Amino acid sequence: MHSFGHRANAVATFAVTILAAMCFAASFSDNFNSATPTASVKILNINWFQKEANGNDEVSMTLNISADLSSLFTWNTKQVFVFVAAEYETAQNALNQVSLWDGIIPAKEHAKFLIHTTNKYRFIDQGSNLKGKDFNLTMHWHIMPKTGKMFADKIVMTGYRLPEQYR
Amino acid sequence: MDWQGQKRAEMLMQVLLVASAVAAFLAGYVLADFQLMLLVYAGGVVLTALVTVPDWPFFNRNPLKWLDAADAERHPRPQVSAGATAGAKSYYGGNAPGKN
Repeated sequence: MHSFGHRANAVATFAVTILAAMCFAASFSDNFNSATPTASVKILNINWFQKEANGNDEVSMTLNISADLSSLFTWNTKQVFVFVAAEYETAQNALNQVSLWDGIIPAKEHAKFLIHTTNKYRFIDQGSNLKGKDFNLTMHWHIMPKTGKMFADKIVMTGYRLPEQYR
Repeated sequence: MDWQGQKRAEMLMQVLLVASAVAAFLAGYVLADFQLMLLVYAGGVVLTALVTVPDWPFFNRNPLKWLDAADAERHPRPQVSAGATAGAKSYYGGNAPGKN
């Protein structure tokens, strides 16, 4: 510490090291957040349900997606990425997950929502397995932090079924 | 700065930075404002730099006793002998090390 430059360097280096420790502590504090998210998805209408020329089934549906994800937000939350996926089993695949809709929630104020929409992304099967298929609609979310660890979780909603016949 | 001052400067730096960090984290956590934490900490870092980096007078309360010119002539530095082996280092005497 015998020169101006030496002390300036010491302050800068120590300050950055402590900043790293603070970011670690901020991320760690996310573990103490007890979140109580709720979600529900209603299929309002199956718009059409066809077999493509390449042999794969495709379905288009109109959904009401509602959720209250405000309890997921902490002081260390940058945004929450949320998506709804259709999940089902086929003879070929133990688990198929097809993302139907996604969104980014930038702040706690926007975390309680009701979206009325057709599926944002196409629901196309690997093959022709969808007739009369039972499936789950699962809402997944990623809590993206300002610093540190990202938490991901989901709510599984069961009991959905596709029509027995194409329409 | 003298030796005591350097020690005091280093100690002050560590204490002030840690205290700034604790205050910043508590403020940010309690008020749920991440940006506030960063701002309070940045302020603390600037304050710490202002207090510890410049050579303030209170860092010079234990000044080193330098020999004055007359004494220095009476106690000359030891000379390296002409037949010294290659690579021998000369030890610089005197009562106080070089000032920076």
